[in-house]
Amino acid sequence: MSLLSFIIATPLIGALCLLLVPRGYSYLYQIIARGAAGITFLLSLGMFLLYPQMASGPGGFKFYQKTAWVESIGINYQVGVDGINVGLIFMGAAVALAASFACWGINRRERDFYFLFLVMAGGILGAFASLDVFFFYFFHELALVPTFIMIGVWGRGEDRNYATFKITIYLTLGAMLALVGLVALYVQSGAQTFDMIELTQHVKENPIALDQQKMIFPLLLFGFGILVSLWPFHTWAPIGYGAAPTAAAMLHAGVLKKFGLYGLIRLAVPLVPEGIRAWMEVFCFLALGNILYCGWVAMRQKDLNFLIGNSSVAHMGMAFLGIASLSLIGITGAVAIMVAHGLLAALSFGISGYLHHEKGSVEINKLGGLLQKIPFIGVCLIIAMLAGCGVPGFANFAGEVLVLFGAWDSLPWFVVAGAWGALIIGAVYCLRAIRNILHGALAPENESLTDSTGLTGRLPFVVLVVLLVLFGIYPRLLTDRISQSAQPLIEQANETQAQISNPPSTLLGQAGPDAVRIDF
Amino acid sequence: MLTLAWIILFLPLLSALGIAFVTHKDQQLSAKVSIGAIGLGFVLTVILFFSHLMGDGAAIEDSITWLQAGALDVGFGVRLDSLSILMLLVVTGVGSLIHWYSQTYMNGDKSYSRYFGSLSLFTFSMLGIVLATDFIQMFIFWELVGVSSYLLIGFWFEKPSAADAAKKAFLSNRMGDFGFILGIIMVWAVAGSLNFDSLKEIFTADPEILGATATVAGLLVFCGAVGKSAQFPLHVWLPDAMEGPTPVSALIHAATMVAAGVYMLCRVYFVFTPDALTIIAWIGGLTALLAALMALQQDDIKRILAYSTLSQLGYMVMAVGVHAPAAAMYHLTTHAFFKALLFLGAGSVIYAVHHKQDIWQMGGLRQKMPTTYWTFLLGTLALCGVFPLSGFFSKDAILASAADTAHGGNGILFGIGVIVAALTTWYMLRLFFITFHGEARTEAAETAKESPSIMTVPLVVLAVASAIAGFLGIEGFASHGLEIEYHGEHTYGLLAMAFSFLAVAVGASVAFALYWKAEADPIQRHLGLFSSILRNRFYIDEIYSFLILITHETLSQISAWLDRWVLTGLVVRGAHGSADLTGRALRMLQSGNIHTYAFLFVIGIAAIMYFVVGRYVL
Repeated sequence: MSLLSFIIATPLIGALCLLLVPRGYSYLYQIIARGAAGITFLLSLGMFLLYPQMASGPGGFKFYQKTAWVESIGINYQVGVDGINVGLIFMGAAVALAASFACWGINRRERDFYFLFLVMAGGILGAFASLDVFFFYFFHELALVPTFIMIGVWGRGEDRNYATFKITIYLTLGAMLALVGLVALYVQSGAQTFDMIELTQHVKENPIALDQQKMIFPLLLFGFGILVSLWPFHTWAPIGYGAAPTAAAMLHAGVLKKFGLYGLIRLAVPLVPEGIRAWMEVFCFLALGNILYCGWVAMRQKDLNFLIGNSSVAHMGMAFLGIASLSLIGITGAVAIMVAHGLLAALSFGISGYLHHEKGSVEINKLGGLLQKIPFIGVCLIIAMLAGCGVPGFANFAGEVLVLFGAWDSLPWFVVAGAWGALIIGAVYCLRAIRNILHGALAPENESLTDSTGLTGRLPFVVLVVLLVLFGIYPRLLTDRISQSAQPLIEQANETQAQISNPPSTLLGQAGPDAVRIDF
Repeated sequence: MLTLAWIILFLPLLSALGIAFVTHKDQQLSAKVSIGAIGLGFVLTVILFFSHLMGDGAAIEDSITWLQAGALDVGFGVRLDSLSILMLLVVTGVGSLIHWYSQTYMNGDKSYSRYFGSLSLFTFSMLGIVLATDFIQMFIFWELVGVSSYLLIGFWFEKPSAADAAKKAFLSNRMGDFGFILGIIMVWAVAGSLNFDSLKEIFTADPEILGATATVAGLLVFCGAVGKSAQFPLHVWLPDAMEGPTPVSALIHAATMVAAGVYMLCRVYFVFTPDALTIIAWIGGLTALLAALMALQQDDIKRILAYSTLSQLGYMVMAVGVHAPAAAMYHLTTHAFFKALLFLGAGSVIYAVHHKQDIWQMGGLRQKMPTTYWTFLLGTLALCGVFPLSGFFSKDAILASAADTAHGGNGILFGIGVIVAALTTWYMLRLFFITFHGEARTEAAETAKESPSIMTVPLVVLAVASAIAGFLGIEGFASHGLEIEYHGEHTYGLLAMAFSFLAVAVGASVAFALYWKAEADPIQRHLGLFSSILRNRFYIDEIYSFLILITHETLSQISAWLDRWVLTGLVVRGAHGSADLTGRALRMLQSGNIHTYAFLFVIGIAAIMYFVVGRYVL
């Protein structure tokens, strides 16, 4: 078995172990959950560090494993990593570790909670590791279902049921649209396989017809897009994360949400690039919706959780912009943003969860002056907010710079708007949050708050901050791996353009590949 | 030499990290670590300086690849040439004195260690800008300077005004950075490089490479300097930033951060087209004039100095605009000396009168604080440009270049420069007379004592530097680093000198007539409207608040409203509601009542019969 299979299996085995723990040993639940997350983290750290030295398997994938499952329709258990998902899996394991230490206030049906938590973690890692479309989808669903249950049972706030209802409907709908797109890919490519490597290879030699591409891409765009809270299908995210228990919000907003972006990069870019070109303007305007509109919405939020939720939706816009640019620099940046934002979102929701646990609410005007009272959490929140508005030294900056540079050639006006969103709007709501929550005078009612202490208390924050800073100071740890593996995808996307004689037409503009430029 | 440069760059970072993680419990040790780091940096810089002088003086650099993807290649390194070494000397030299001074000024503050940690972080960021080899590296440290100044301005974050000022400073800087990064991207997209050296070669080989977008790209890059060097229209953050501790004002609002914008303009001087330079010159001249006018009617000692800084920065930017970057660097250096001196002197006064900053609550400090008095006088005269102090020479260089119409000068800008010189003398002597002369107006001023020697020694050192810096050949050194010929002084030196003398004389006589032993401001009494316009800074802050309110805040409100009521309310709840409604309607059909079923069954049959048979029959 490949190391990668161990990484996926550890949380799932941990989940099974939980079921075997007899009643009366409830202290074991937490130990097992943290232990499994810890082992997975260490294994994935090893994989991330060993990645450059390992020999490449089929399709350039490393730590590759393929086991036949249903041969008649070509479904295999097949996992492997390249530069694109190795960082995502490492980030996912780190967030899972942090989240396992951020389960404050779970005091009923603990075993069920930790069971679902571990299943979710295993599903997430499996989804990012799978190279078979079937398992790719299966693992995603395996992670998604526990999210709904966790919000419904252990969620907080009065709107919990509505939030569960909404997030379930949205995400199921998104996943189903994506499924239709995936089936269409399976059928239209004619490759008769769910194997991503073979599929990509097959399409490289026999590009999918232009009309089909134009039909399949929107299915993937909206299907995966809903999962990533693409504007205007984003309203599930703030309310869902507001109601979710901290650990579930960290895992979902941090990692699982990136599944949609990952799907677009892994499947849409090499397989239906003409579809992307044809839909590029729509794609970009929706991304702008995320960057500008959701940023403006975030400026008005009175609840820290909603602020973070909306800002996390806004950040996704930059990743969309990177993908839409179809350039090596832009896509490298998009993946770097995915990793960086995963760490950031987990950190932000962790802090907000801590505050909520301490105070029972995270309404911004009931906080204030907290930096004097809880300096450790306060500094973590400052770090999260600065990282969120793209300050260098944190990983997000590198990703955003890459996206802005990468998209300039084809989408200059979107870059201008993107820079405005990232540099100005982001700074406005992030600094407002610092000003209103941490700075100023301490209200007497907040005198009783206590800071996070001890190793277990601080570990979730420390792990995430260290990684954010590490990737921020030396982003090549990520980007060298990413750009090397993104290169063939981009080349394929550009080759098929040359192969299809029929010039693509855009939906809103004149024909021809130049039509992606928009002049205002 | 390059190893030394790397050490100079990273010493303050080590100090900041050491203070944050190791020594923060021990306040005195933290201060020593921070002072030691920048002090050692200064010593090493002096060594660098002399070996640069002894050597052939060529630019050298060393860099690693920080980020690489496709055609984008971002380097991170250190570059040593006369320009960066001059700036290193200023930053570490003046910085060391300010660090030293702070250990007394900040004594007793509960966050003493945090203060020195932030100072070190700031120094690191500033040195990164100075030594940058690459546009993105410069942008990175540019932003880090923004962050560390945010931490320092908001040092007393419990105070709402300080917290607001920090936020305002960061956001105004961000406005500039927005243009800056777009400018960088535009330059990169055409030239394909980010390294200053290769860009310079590319631009020298083909000055037209940017084509029609050249002026726009240059002005976007200039936006960065507008933010950082607080030029009109982004000047509003600097006066508010006086909420930070006074040594911080001396460090970041006199000697370093605000100078970074001017330094950047000199560093990338080659990207600016003549049109772009003209606009730069006008922005600089306008800022110099507006800020000098605003300074006339301020009462807070630090704010007067802040407006004066704005005005002097306007001079420097104007100098770049009239094709005289060497003069800009010259004035930057001398200004760093005398403005740091003035801020530290103001700090000494504020310390003596128990943290009051209104000059009308001072008075008569001359006898009580002799060292502060004499050094402050020297700084004031240097700022006014009195012969033979350093300000005289550097200001003269700028005025002479502005007069040189054959090389980018402009008669009106020259006139503005002269008027600003007169205004400068006016407001500085006003400050000086009211603070140090006349009678003590309050109890605190009555009992004021000279500050301890740890604070006065840096004043004396800076006073000496302000006095002699005019004779050190700084402009020649800077222009060597810029690799451009410098001109102007020879032709127009005398003209500039004459006007400069005249301006000082006019300004001094006005100030003397109005404020020598004045008990209240006569302008306020006799010219109330004029005074209140100046006191309210031409209402620019209010106009901005209004503009932000009707644009960004409104957009934000509209988006939030749409999100809440239309997207969530109408569309999502609507879809949800209509699905729900359909469900309810369908449920009514399945009532379980056999009669209803029979009735519906008959209706159904009848309908089918109609469609299948009826059409033919009826």
